Amino acid sequence: MSFLSTLFPAYAEIFLLVMVSAILIVDLFLTNPNKTVTYALVQLTLLGCSMITVSTHQHGVVYLFHNMFVDDLMSDVLKMLSYLSVSMMLVYSRNYLMVRGLFTGEFMALTLFALLGMMVMISASHFLTLYLGLELLSLSLYAMVALQRDSAIATEAAMKYFILGALASGLLLYGMSMFYGATGTLEVAAVSDAITHGVPNKALLVFGLVFVVSGLAFKLGAVPFHMWVPDVYHGAPTAMTMLIGTAPKLAAFAFVMRILVEGLQPLMVHWSGMLVILAVLSIAVGNITAIAQTNLKRMLAYSTISHMGFLLLGVLSGGIDGYGAAMFYAAVYVLMSLGGFGMIMLLSREGFEADTLNDYKGLNQRSPWLAFVMLLLMFSMAGVPPMVGFYAKFSVLSAVVNAGHIPLAVIAVLFSLIGAFYYLRIVKLMYFDAPESHVPISIQPDSGLLISMNGLAVLALGIMPGTFMSVCAVAVQQSLLLH
Amino acid sequence: MEPVHLLIAIIIVAFAASPLPLLLQRCGRGYAALAAALVMAACLTVLAPLVAPVMGGTTLLASFAWLPDWGLALSFRLDGLSLMFSLLILGIGLLVTLYAYYYLPKHDTLGRFYTLLLLFMAAMLGVVLSENLLLLVVFWEITSLSSFLLISYKRESHESRLAARIAFAVTGGGGLALFAGVLLLGHIAGSFELTQVLAAGEHIRNHDLYAPMLILVLLGAFTKSAQFPFHFWLPQAMAAPTPVSAYLHSATMVKAGVFLLARLHPALAGSELWFWVVSGTGAITLVYAAYIAFYRYDFKGLLAYSTISHLGLITLLFGLDTRLSAVAGVFHIINHAIFKASLFMAAGIVDHECGTRDMRRVNGLFKFMPVTATLAIVAAGSMAGVPLLNGFLSKEMFFAETVGHPVFDEMRWLLPAFATLAGILAVGYSARFIHDVFFNGEPIDLPRQPHEPPRWMRAPVEVLVVLCLLVGIFPQWSIAPILHVAASAVLQQELPAFHLAVWHGFNAPFLMSLVALGGGITLYALRHPLYAFYERLPSVHASIVFERFHNGLAGFSAALVNRLDNASLQRYLALFFTFVLALGGWAWFSAPASPLPVVTQPADAASIVALLMLALAAAGVVVLHRQRLAAIVFASVIGLIVALTFVRFSAPDLALTQLAVEVVSIVLLLLALHYLPPASPAEDSMQRIMRDAALASAAGVGLGAAAYAMLTSPFETISNFYLAQSVPGGGGSNAVNVILVDFRGFDTLGEITVLAMVGLAAHALLDKLILQAPTHDADGRLWARERHPLFLQMLMRPLLPLALMVSVFIFLRGHNLPGGGFVAGLVTGVALILQYLASGIGFAAARLPQRLPLFLAAGLAAAAGIGALSWLFGFPFLTTAHGHITLPLIGEIELASALVFDLGVYLVVVSVVLMVLAELGKLSLYHEEKT
Repeated sequence: MSFLSTLFPAYAEIFLLVMVSAILIVDLFLTNPNKTVTYALVQLTLLGCSMITVSTHQHGVVYLFHNMFVDDLMSDVLKMLSYLSVSMMLVYSRNYLMVRGLFTGEFMALTLFALLGMMVMISASHFLTLYLGLELLSLSLYAMVALQRDSAIATEAAMKYFILGALASGLLLYGMSMFYGATGTLEVAAVSDAITHGVPNKALLVFGLVFVVSGLAFKLGAVPFHMWVPDVYHGAPTAMTMLIGTAPKLAAFAFVMRILVEGLQPLMVHWSGMLVILAVLSIAVGNITAIAQTNLKRMLAYSTISHMGFLLLGVLSGGIDGYGAAMFYAAVYVLMSLGGFGMIMLLSREGFEADTLNDYKGLNQRSPWLAFVMLLLMFSMAGVPPMVGFYAKFSVLSAVVNAGHIPLAVIAVLFSLIGAFYYLRIVKLMYFDAPESHVPISIQPDSGLLISMNGLAVLALGIMPGTFMSVCAVAVQQSLLLH
Repeated sequence: MEPVHLLIAIIIVAFAASPLPLLLQRCGRGYAALAAALVMAACLTVLAPLVAPVMGGTTLLASFAWLPDWGLALSFRLDGLSLMFSLLILGIGLLVTLYAYYYLPKHDTLGRFYTLLLLFMAAMLGVVLSENLLLLVVFWEITSLSSFLLISYKRESHESRLAARIAFAVTGGGGLALFAGVLLLGHIAGSFELTQVLAAGEHIRNHDLYAPMLILVLLGAFTKSAQFPFHFWLPQAMAAPTPVSAYLHSATMVKAGVFLLARLHPALAGSELWFWVVSGTGAITLVYAAYIAFYRYDFKGLLAYSTISHLGLITLLFGLDTRLSAVAGVFHIINHAIFKASLFMAAGIVDHECGTRDMRRVNGLFKFMPVTATLAIVAAGSMAGVPLLNGFLSKEMFFAETVGHPVFDEMRWLLPAFATLAGILAVGYSARFIHDVFFNGEPIDLPRQPHEPPRWMRAPVEVLVVLCLLVGIFPQWSIAPILHVAASAVLQQELPAFHLAVWHGFNAPFLMSLVALGGGITLYALRHPLYAFYERLPSVHASIVFERFHNGLAGFSAALVNRLDNASLQRYLALFFTFVLALGGWAWFSAPASPLPVVTQPADAASIVALLMLALAAAGVVVLHRQRLAAIVFASVIGLIVALTFVRFSAPDLALTQLAVEVVSIVLLLLALHYLPPASPAEDSMQRIMRDAALASAAGVGLGAAAYAMLTSPFETISNFYLAQSVPGGGGSNAVNVILVDFRGFDTLGEITVLAMVGLAAHALLDKLILQAPTHDADGRLWARERHPLFLQMLMRPLLPLALMVSVFIFLRGHNLPGGGFVAGLVTGVALILQYLASGIGFAAARLPQRLPLFLAAGLAAAAGIGALSWLFGFPFLTTAHGHITLPLIGEIELASALVFDLGVYLVVVSVVLMVLAELGKLSLYHEEKT
């Protein structure tokens, strides 16, 4: 059918939707409590998605569904990274969830729905598609946080996440409606054109921008809209925290790119000023408050906030440099977070979460290799060369400097220094302190292998960051409608 | 192999081979040491063929693209300066390797130590060989990192862990500042390659960003080279094993800072700012550290402060910024590395043999270890600047540069006087080191009986001391060639004429040297009253300051967490709204002026009264929200007024729907309310209520204002399109219904799907739920025994057929006149609810279909099926076909396929209402059975 063949840019999304519906039904009839078949199906689905995304890649930018959906290099790269991230998250969390009785069909279906939401966000070229993707993602995540129903802290986190998230979505929608009111269209490219050619009601644009940026800031977890991040990261089961803290940041990056850069490029003077405030506050507050944390998940939450500040720095610098740097930063951040949360899950066991800092005391004596991997990850997050985290910070900072925001670069460097402090504390705990527990660490072979590869990837990408950095730059360059 | 490839091979060999000792330590500690030595020797061998061309004055460059887009290249450079440093790093590295083998305890397998040492060495080679500035920063940070790991080598000691953290915080932080500075420098010069940067000196100094860039770069250099006020980490770092102190903290790593000053000299030096900042810092460090060194009674601490002082001297020389002073600076780098490394090793021997470093107890060792003592005395003499030793030569050059420096025209005596003061102090602390340790009576209560160290442990010291003498006596023959190429690499131009000789005649510098020697010895003679005086001064301990800073930061952080993140949703919401309001306010005041507002309709009295009632009712809900019944009553008033508003603006469909929805939802709410306590407890403080009230009012006003601004700006309406297309496109004259079932049928399909899910969810949640219904109300009165009054039952039963008929009527006329499946469903629902209420669940359940989910499915299937049917005819999903038929009594009916769709809507609505009702009703049935 010719109709179906015109849909090829969205084949991956369609395939995923079909598969997740099928998995949902198939799972009803499976009785194995380990959910091996469902798990295999999910991993196969992810593999299938990646094969489809690779094989349907086209040079240039292809639109679909009346310009509501776009397929370009940036979206393909981000989607591939999302598949990888979700797949890794499932490997890391399988045992963790099984022990807690949470490794259920719903968990996997919700994960895939969340992934679908991310993919829609990544490929959206219309305000409504963006919003739909975002909501599909957010609703899946709210439900996942609440999945551990007998945990008061998880339920509380889900409630807070939902209430604040719904408010933020409302703001975003409100802002979008103002853009519609001002420009008469919801297509990203058309909005940009309309603003360039002048709209009668400029006040509406400014209002819309304020609300859209607030909503975006919330979804990214940028200060002052960050309040949900620590509570949710801390309260949710670590597997869900990992999902929230990894792939959705790629989607959020795409979201920012589609709305602010593609849609509202003519208003850059306005939004870059707002992003400066958000970025500086995020980097400052995130790094300073992380010091006082005693819970690793909470600490990583604050570190996420500061990383998002860095990502925003890349975006506000503008140009291929800045956007490429922000994309690279997002991808590197995802890789490091996967490792960090993966380590927490690896060290946890039944009735023990391994999420306080004291649980890492003397890790070097209990497992030198895991301690070394964690050291690589922490140094990378702190931005110490030659780990890849350094190049992420470096590319962003060089974009910031080239855009002429010298004070911003200096502030960012200063607070990174403070940030290095708390990552270093983990290293100190692992290497210098005596262990508090002598329970042997039992590691599943699959997640053990994965964490080793994850840690080494942080180092290897740090030694050879060139290819991946240029992939990001080229992806951004080929995909953006920069005027 | 090409020479340039050899350059890269050095770095690769050094890094790749660094894990070797770790792997070989199983075979024995000797193998680990041998591996380390072999790696260093291999690096030297690779370097050897490159020495000749560099000594001939060429600069070797090797470059590989790494991150071309970001200006980062794997490019290396070997010129005189790099060669000199590489030789120092590798040469002293070899000696330290030998020394450490004897120094470290026998039970240590040494693998970790040598691996870290090699890692450090590789990084240090990277720093001095980098052509690309960013690459240099990368290596720079690795040296900080390996220094951190080496200082904390004795893990069990709290002191070394704290020292390691302080050192890393200071040097790592400085590294980040350097990173920022280098980014700026690259931005200014347009390249990160040294060749370009060094050539662009004029441009760089005149750039607007010169000052911030210079400060950042200098921060990096000063922290690494322990310049005042960042010097405090270095004495702390003496907690490291002595081989590490000798290698990193005197000979090489701390020289990275002054190396950077030398390296960037052509690009950065030559401005007022450079002169004042660099020479000022250097001068203060020189005198201050020498002053402190004199009072240390821990001889390793004395050497540490003397190192700081000498680094200050080098910094001062580069800051003075005459060309000859830079030559002297380079010369002193070499000399200091040689004599200080030997002194540290000698000190390590003493420490090793005596078990303490306290000069109040370690005395008179000359008797016990005459050879070591002689070596240490010669090296200390070099430190003091005694003639015939290498330290004397560079100190003479330094004195010569201070005399007649052009800047201090009015006070030309000031700089030489300052230099002489530093010289006096240097002689003083050197004398103290020699006299206290090796003479000065008998040792007091030593943990061990001192004697000479093993033969090969002393050998590195011997080598270095011989070098001191060689350079000191035959400078022209020994050191001049390498100094020439190194200094010309620093200056990047012709060297000024200078002559290395022991005797330059009886001139001002020599006089200063004499004064320094005499003064220093006098100072040492007067030591006892001076110590007593010093003891009375308040002392500031750097680690206390650091801890205090650390604690202060942690306290600030905790306070910030308390403010922002106290896990209270109310607080989060308050912050959220505050910021949104602030942003909205900002937009309001910064937004450009709006165009002229459209003309609004005049308000009539009835509308105003309705609005006021709406506002009152809304306020009532807020104020009485704890009394649930009252709140529901107010909420229904709101619903009613909204319905009336729809009537006022000629939207009968909406009004009808709103009314029906109101009735259904109120009834369902009341049913649910039966199980809840009648009032919820008051938890909020007055303060919080006031805060929330203020925020809510502000948000409401803001939203209202935004809505007003939006509604009064000119807009184009799309209603006309639907009104025009309703009959020709959808076959119905009720545009609202046509929109629902036809134009936006897909929307409606989605909505009824959601509705169906709600019904199923209610079913899933409430099925088998058992709740204790209260038997009393809040005031303790019993609920009425008679639940279903006969009067109500009799009234309701005949009402059912009438209501059903009305709903069929509304359903059928829907396409053309106000009505439709949704309203009809609600009317049917209301009619059935009334039966439940009047006759009880038992009566109703017996007479109603049991399998409501089936009806739900049927409704959905009908709606989706009729939509899919249009595919068969080659039309898009949900295309409508329509025609007319005439029915008796009702008249002509527009029969569209949308009618089937509407039927689906009707079925879904009825079954959802009934399902929720039946489930809630079952709860009460449970009690009816019990009572």
